[in-house]
Amino acid sequence: MGRNRKWIQICILLAVVILGGWTIASSVLDKTEIPKVGSKAPEFTLTGLDGKTHQLSDYKGKTVVVNFWATYCPPCREEMPDIQKQAAKWADKDVVVLGVNVAESKVTAKNFVDQLGVTFPILLDSKDKIRREYGVLNYPTTVFVKPDGKIAVIKEGLMDEAYLDRTIASVAAAGNGNK
Amino acid sequence: MIFENTKCECGHQNPVGTVLCESCGKPLENTESSEPLEMRYDGAARRSQKANPSLLDKVWNFFSSVKIAVYLIFFTLLASSLGTIFPQESTFLNMDPSTFYKAEYGTLGEIYYKLGLSHTYESWWFILLLFMIGTSLVICSLDRVLPLYKALSKQQIRKHLSFINRQRAGLIQTMPFSEEDGEAQEWVNKLGKQLRKQRFRVHTEGAALLAEKNRFSRWGPYILHIGLIIFLLAVVMRSIPGWHMDKHMGFLEGVPVKIPDTSYYLKNEQFTVDYYKPEEMSEEFREKNRSVAKLYETQAVLYRCTDRCDDDDPVLEEVHRQKIEVNKPLDYKGLLAYQFDFQETPTILSMDPKVRNLKTGEAFGPIHLNMNNPAQSYDAGPYHLELKGYFKDFGMDDKGQPITQSNSPNAPAFIFQVTGPDLPAQGSVFMYFPRQIDQQNFRQDAINGELAKTLAISVDSMDDVQIAAYTSYLNIRMDRAMPFIWVGSAIGMIGLVMTFYWQHRRIWLRLDGRELSLGAHTNKNWYGLRREIATSLTKIGMPIEQKALDKGGTNG
Repeated sequence: MGRNRKWIQICILLAVVILGGWTIASSVLDKTEIPKVGSKAPEFTLTGLDGKTHQLSDYKGKTVVVNFWATYCPPCREEMPDIQKQAAKWADKDVVVLGVNVAESKVTAKNFVDQLGVTFPILLDSKDKIRREYGVLNYPTTVFVKPDGKIAVIKEGLMDEAYLDRTIASVAAAGNGNK
Repeated sequence: MIFENTKCECGHQNPVGTVLCESCGKPLENTESSEPLEMRYDGAARRSQKANPSLLDKVWNFFSSVKIAVYLIFFTLLASSLGTIFPQESTFLNMDPSTFYKAEYGTLGEIYYKLGLSHTYESWWFILLLFMIGTSLVICSLDRVLPLYKALSKQQIRKHLSFINRQRAGLIQTMPFSEEDGEAQEWVNKLGKQLRKQRFRVHTEGAALLAEKNRFSRWGPYILHIGLIIFLLAVVMRSIPGWHMDKHMGFLEGVPVKIPDTSYYLKNEQFTVDYYKPEEMSEEFREKNRSVAKLYETQAVLYRCTDRCDDDDPVLEEVHRQKIEVNKPLDYKGLLAYQFDFQETPTILSMDPKVRNLKTGEAFGPIHLNMNNPAQSYDAGPYHLELKGYFKDFGMDDKGQPITQSNSPNAPAFIFQVTGPDLPAQGSVFMYFPRQIDQQNFRQDAINGELAKTLAISVDSMDDVQIAAYTSYLNIRMDRAMPFIWVGSAIGMIGLVMTFYWQHRRIWLRLDGRELSLGAHTNKNWYGLRREIATSLTKIGMPIEQKALDKGGTNG
């Protein structure tokens, strides 16, 4: 009887701890927190204009620049050639530039990048899902991800070539320092 | 350590913490007093009362304490009320709480936000409080209901004299007969018969008697607790994805929209807004010259996605079709959609134009052009069209480059590479603006040059153009926890009714020589109990006032 009673106590307390822990954990974790500088860049898997699937984790160990853009955003259009130049400049130094087109048709996006001569991978966030996960509200927004997968800089708005060069250099340097 | 002797004089070994001997009812504490007894849980020890509690027992005892439960309820109440001072974060659609509370409610608002009260009900500490209340409910109940059940299911009929005499209702009287006399037995039987008429269950043992009624009322509080636990669990289950939703969504006519976290898509086939005619309105309204809506109606179709749900072209299966009006929501298996708002949003969704050879006058097609997600290539008779460019909202930038101005198809423009009769093998570029006004504004014919004289794309009539006039805003709600909340509430109510509308009444009686001792206990309505005893005694020839049975007490 005494043993039985003890087991019942253990079972009830265990059930409460598991149920309570799970609920509290889910209520804390469930808040789809918008990533901030220093937090881990949310993983994504998207199809590119090249027809291939691109995953953020594919580029682990490299500095990744994720640029959210849309064809109807004039500053996106303005900065795109500068990003292209920087992408080419840093290509052989473990820096990857990814353009994420938000919720536009493939034709529209393709037309746009062809017009501007963009050669870095352009991914299609056709469901508007990754934009929401990253909490991007204005275009363009550029997220600089360190080689360890953590966000180093979130830049909202137009970037010029000097800014890009400076930022990429500092993020890449910080990443190498950590190694 | 002092060994506590818990053995009663009747020979029964009681657990630590017992107030009244489990067997004979002799008080084990305050034995000298003649005050009415504390009858809670029939004097049984709570399960957790132990001589040397282990850590597990200590945790158990913490939750077993009613004092702790009262504190928990108090703090939950306090937190709940603090959470209502300013609106919670979840009541706003688009805002940054870190700046909003300060801007809107000043320093107090900032403190409120910093304390985390702007999301009280989702905070870990609030949920923890609820859980501790739940745990306390379970443990408090178990700790008391099991000993109480044991105590009540094996009651001694002949109780200890001090137990009977220290009840709040009762009497002591010298009888004309002695306990060994046959007369005594007869008298007890007569009383038993009278008490049975009052629906008591009567047990006798020689000249001792136990009469009891409505014992089930004692289980009421525990049934209420079961109801509350189901209720709390149901509230917790709402955090499971897909169990609870309360969202406002816009539905453009003719476009199925995915309902997040479900496999459902909802399409607004047609939205109707109907206004009162001037002659239908009262004089007052007519003077104000305002239009008053008579009807908002969304013809809704609900689909379930069966395949390719994450792609652009999901396979949808119709499951439900219903008109939604204000206060008449769509209701499908717990998914509710309420009419909330509407907006006039004239938009071209798609069109079915034909490709025309202007030299021969022949028309081919039609081809289906979707304005939101156009296909790559089209075939119309001998013509093949390859989509080279698509602008949803066509415009020119300051360098004369074609651009899209917004993500709404306000001025759609298609650039096709066309191959076919009388066209070069590598094809010719043809630009097509679906809207007549854009064709003129952007001078489609001039852009297409020579080709405009031989080739045209156009619709036969406006019937071939699918236009969405309205966006209907619906409040999508789902609450799968609701049935459990109802069940929990119903069980809780049953428990409350059991507790409040019936009372557990017991009467003990024994003869010691010629001395009759009668004691009675109930949890409330002592008057009723005394009257029942007085009536029974009077009927067997022992007239007594109910007041005479009142031995006083602290409450009730």
